Amino acid sequence: MNLKERWQEFKTGLRPRIAEWRFMLKRLRKSYLAMTGIAIILFFVGVAILAPVLAPPHGDPMMIPKDYDIETLRTQEPTPPTIRHIFGTIDSQYDLYYACIWGTITAFRIGLLVVVVSLVIGLLVGILAAFYGGLLDEALMRFTDIIIAFPGLILAMALVLAFPTTVPLSVSNVLLAVSIISMLILLAFKPDRRLLLVNMLVLIFSVVSVLYSPIVFDLALQRLDKVLIAITIVGWPGYARLIRGEVLRVKNEDYIEASRASGSTDSRIIMKHILPNSIYPVLIVATLDIGSIVLTAAALSFIGIGAPDGYADWGQVISKAQLWMNGPGEIIKNFHTFFIPGLFIALFVVGWNLLGDALRDVLDPQLRRR
Amino acid sequence: MLVFVILGVSVLVFAVSMMFDPAQRALLYVRNVQRTTDAAIRETIRIYGLEDPFYLQYGRWMSQVLQGNLGWSPTASQTVADSIRTRWPYTFEIVLFAAPLIIFIGIYLGVQSAVHRDKPIDQASRVFSVIGWSLPSFWVGMVLIAIFYGMLNWFPPGSASPEVQVFMKGAFVRYTGIDLFDGLLNGQPWITLDVLRHLVLPVVTIVTIDVALLIRVMRSSMLESLSKPYITTAKAKGLSNKAVIYKHARRNALIPVATLSGMLVAGLLGGLIITETVFGFGGLGQWAAGAAVQLDMPAVLGYAILSAVMFVVANLIVDILYAYIDPRIRLD
Repeated sequence: MNLKERWQEFKTGLRPRIAEWRFMLKRLRKSYLAMTGIAIILFFVGVAILAPVLAPPHGDPMMIPKDYDIETLRTQEPTPPTIRHIFGTIDSQYDLYYACIWGTITAFRIGLLVVVVSLVIGLLVGILAAFYGGLLDEALMRFTDIIIAFPGLILAMALVLAFPTTVPLSVSNVLLAVSIISMLILLAFKPDRRLLLVNMLVLIFSVVSVLYSPIVFDLALQRLDKVLIAITIVGWPGYARLIRGEVLRVKNEDYIEASRASGSTDSRIIMKHILPNSIYPVLIVATLDIGSIVLTAAALSFIGIGAPDGYADWGQVISKAQLWMNGPGEIIKNFHTFFIPGLFIALFVVGWNLLGDALRDVLDPQLRRR
Repeated sequence: MLVFVILGVSVLVFAVSMMFDPAQRALLYVRNVQRTTDAAIRETIRIYGLEDPFYLQYGRWMSQVLQGNLGWSPTASQTVADSIRTRWPYTFEIVLFAAPLIIFIGIYLGVQSAVHRDKPIDQASRVFSVIGWSLPSFWVGMVLIAIFYGMLNWFPPGSASPEVQVFMKGAFVRYTGIDLFDGLLNGQPWITLDVLRHLVLPVVTIVTIDVALLIRVMRSSMLESLSKPYITTAKAKGLSNKAVIYKHARRNALIPVATLSGMLVAGLLGGLIITETVFGFGGLGQWAAGAAVQLDMPAVLGYAILSAVMFVVANLIVDILYAYIDPRIRLD
């Protein structure tokens, strides 16, 4: 098959998808809750893009600037909103407005990165488990059981503590890990022999190079990186289970049998038939999860093991507010130090949850056909 | 099945602990403060062979855990087991009120919004659940403190007033270790009232956050149940609306909700880390949060083990409850 024919096939394959997306968008536009959610998310996207304009950075943009004019007065106490600091300042004279604006970028980074990575891991594990069943299924699902047995925040907390600040990595170790993973994927999807052979050679090469290569570099893990990895480890089992259930539901449908009878390979069946028919519930949950991931990260920052001191992160800013909450008078006086950044978190999460909620109504085939 | 999960949990916790260096891991085997000096730590590493292969270490660690020794918490300067023993009553007080409230409010609002679908009560409870689910619990707590302590001075933070704490150091018998009950048992109802006053805000915070998910699940489960043929049958038989909803629809809708309730109650331990920290409540959650900040590994892992065991126990209870809710399971 030449390239042009493939492109044609791809286009015809895409047509029903496009029609479906159009149908979905039409339904979404009717739901005012969904539109509110989308508006909120777009607002935050705008804030994130315009951050350098809204709050010009000095030096490292992710670090909140301190106001040295006030600091020369040697007071650490938060000051209420003024024209100079429209949201006021927090402990140690960090500017709250700057923190809220640049915190948007942190929130998007945490939410999207964690969701995408854990979604990919979850999809891979869930599909493999359900499609091949047997011992593989049993082993993978029992593993997810164990992770799900912990409340997410607690396991994430323990992992953040346990991760080292620097990970020694050699090029050959990375190569070995990559080749083992790709080998597993290839074996699972029963590919053609040439690819397998190439992968085998790479694997052998990397095993040899691990034994002889001294090239080691230290991968430095920032505190926020640890949070991202920890939440990903805690989060993927949920997706794996969900997609497994969906694949099991779809697996024995007649059209799968028909496709198999006409000689499709496993990978083709998975990509063309199983994935499109089982992915929607997972996408809905992923949308809803962006909010809860941001909440978990904020909670870790609030405890004091998330974003480092002075980093533009909403949770970190609120944790600083706690220092100035002794007695009723002080709480009222410093109300802005926790109320404003909390409002940003709440609004951000509400936006994603409204969108996810509406998507559930629109995408759920059981509700849709009614 | 449950045994397997517990075993897996122990392996996972052990694997996390193996990411620390031996000097920190030695604290997992320490039982008193004399053993925390540098020399003693070195000796502990030697005695327990903390540089041995991991499978040997796992056996030794496991036998310690089974003896109830979870290690030494430097931040509490107590063993982890003792820390849990002194702090659980505070956490228990919150769970005692929060868990039933979450379950009853969740089921009630879920049923109401399904029965009155798209009516004002449905809209209100849906908005409430979306918002409740989206709010950061520490922020809810802080705003509640600002309103009810800062402005109105009704519900102060902490677990009890200073005068109560002073009184309890005097002629006060600790029957249960739980202030709430000990106040009554000692014939001092004002202590119980004071404890209740301190409980209001943490309980409201955790209920607002956790009830949201239950409302949603109960609503959709109830909607599904209401669309089943046996509901039509029940209505055709001429049963009253009330009997149809509460006896036929709700009972069947409760099955998925029971699982979720079990997980929510077990998961309260996770949510309480934040809530207790905000209110300075002094229970297990605040202890774990403080330990995490100061890199107190044994304490955090001990709390993790405790929460996982709670999860398994909650699941076991839910499995037993199923038999009561659903006679089909009982007959199997």
